[in-house]
Amino acid sequence: MAQIKTKGIANEVISGQTALAEAPADTDEFLVSDGGTIKRLDYTHIKSTAVTRPNVNPFLINGSMEVSQRGTSFTSNGYGLDRWTMDESSDGAVTVTQDTDVPSGYGFGKSLKVDVTTLDSSIAADQSCGFTQFFEGQNLQLLKYGTSNAENLTLSFWVKSVKTGTYCIRFVKEAGGLTRYETPIEYTISSASTWEKKVINLSPTAGSTSLITGAAGAIVNSNASAFRIMFTLASGSNFHATNNTWVAGSDKYATSNQVNFLDSTSNNFWLTGVQLEVGEYTSATLPSFQHESYGDNLARCQRYFTMYAEGGQAPVGNGLFWEAGEVFINCHLPTTMRLEPPTIYQTTGTDYFFLYRNGGADGITQLTLNASSSHNCVSIYLNAGTNGLASDTKNRPCILRAGSASAKFGLDAEL
Amino acid sequence: MFEGCTIKYNSFEGVNQSIQITYPANDEGIVYAKSVPLLEGNRDYADIQEWVADGNTIEEAD
Repeated sequence: MAQIKTKGIANEVISGQTALAEAPADTDEFLVSDGGTIKRLDYTHIKSTAVTRPNVNPFLINGSMEVSQRGTSFTSNGYGLDRWTMDESSDGAVTVTQDTDVPSGYGFGKSLKVDVTTLDSSIAADQSCGFTQFFEGQNLQLLKYGTSNAENLTLSFWVKSVKTGTYCIRFVKEAGGLTRYETPIEYTISSASTWEKKVINLSPTAGSTSLITGAAGAIVNSNASAFRIMFTLASGSNFHATNNTWVAGSDKYATSNQVNFLDSTSNNFWLTGVQLEVGEYTSATLPSFQHESYGDNLARCQRYFTMYAEGGQAPVGNGLFWEAGEVFINCHLPTTMRLEPPTIYQTTGTDYFFLYRNGGADGITQLTLNASSSHNCVSIYLNAGTNGLASDTKNRPCILRAGSASAKFGLDAEL
Repeated sequence: MFEGCTIKYNSFEGVNQSIQITYPANDEGIVYAKSVPLLEGNRDYADIQEWVADGNTIEEAD
């Protein structure tokens, strides 16, 4: 087989031409054959359509809303769909669900839905509603915040709402031992109950400020929370700030133009396809959403929350009787979690768990965390007083399983 | 923050290991609980510390 040599290409295919430098200039042009007709292609066009993400995986986790380990419907504040936490403090109430209403033709299967179940027609100054994703500082060092090379960011998402008008995204650069900076940025939902794609640019110098590019704008390089993005649905006047302008302080949820999404029980809000990109993009130049396999998405969510055992006879772990009335059970985690150790998240009640030993099984009411746990392995400690443990012979091996259809055992290391 | 909750230490050989938060039953009658490590950086532990700073007390372990 004939070998193609670089020198051969240079000399024989386009003879006499100067080789292109390793990094083309914007003014460079490429010649391509379009059905035999030679045409010119500007490098600026190639650059504008090429995906040049500096990050391998999406910064924002579960932007497709596919993973929801805790369940599919949530009426309380806190984490619902993986990585998304609701904070509602109005006189109204909302339910968050994982929904199947999605923009058609873009490869999404799930959305996060917020349904107003109790209205609040007038949001007080100190009330608000919104849901947030927090980001780990050590994942965001490439933003170069705290230097003059701080990067632009682009947030894009698909949104649908019964209530039209001005909404806000709240961006937060956490203090991390320095100074906390925030800015709300407005966007408009134009058509009721219609999926719309939004693209929002966040400059490190938004509002002609130099807070983010100054030394106190640096992002803490640790597993602590360093950045957050909140989708605001209502905001009292105590939490208002100027649109698209970084400011020192906290709780800048929105501008004064933010609609009150909670003013009717007919209001529903859906969100999916949320992506955060390094760089400044428009709707024309934005790279495609990085669709992941469910397994990859789940694995990245599991750094922050792992539903380890749920319902029926789901295994929790193996262990032994340390003493006649004390048991240790080890649970090996599917991934390294953010915290060492994480919090145990569980449902409790009579016979919610069963300890199998010596041909029998005893009901266990709840599980308690022992400090000898790590990022990768959680140690559960059981005794008679707290957990309902029956006594057995020291060193007896045993198996802990879920015993109720309502039993849940998870590990929580959320930000 | 922890209205209606029971908040109690878990101990082993006399040393506190974690804090058990038991929440009131929800509308479906399900009782949720957390077993929280005594760890700075854990948001549940931070919430408990804030609750204690407000004048509340964690029950001693059994």
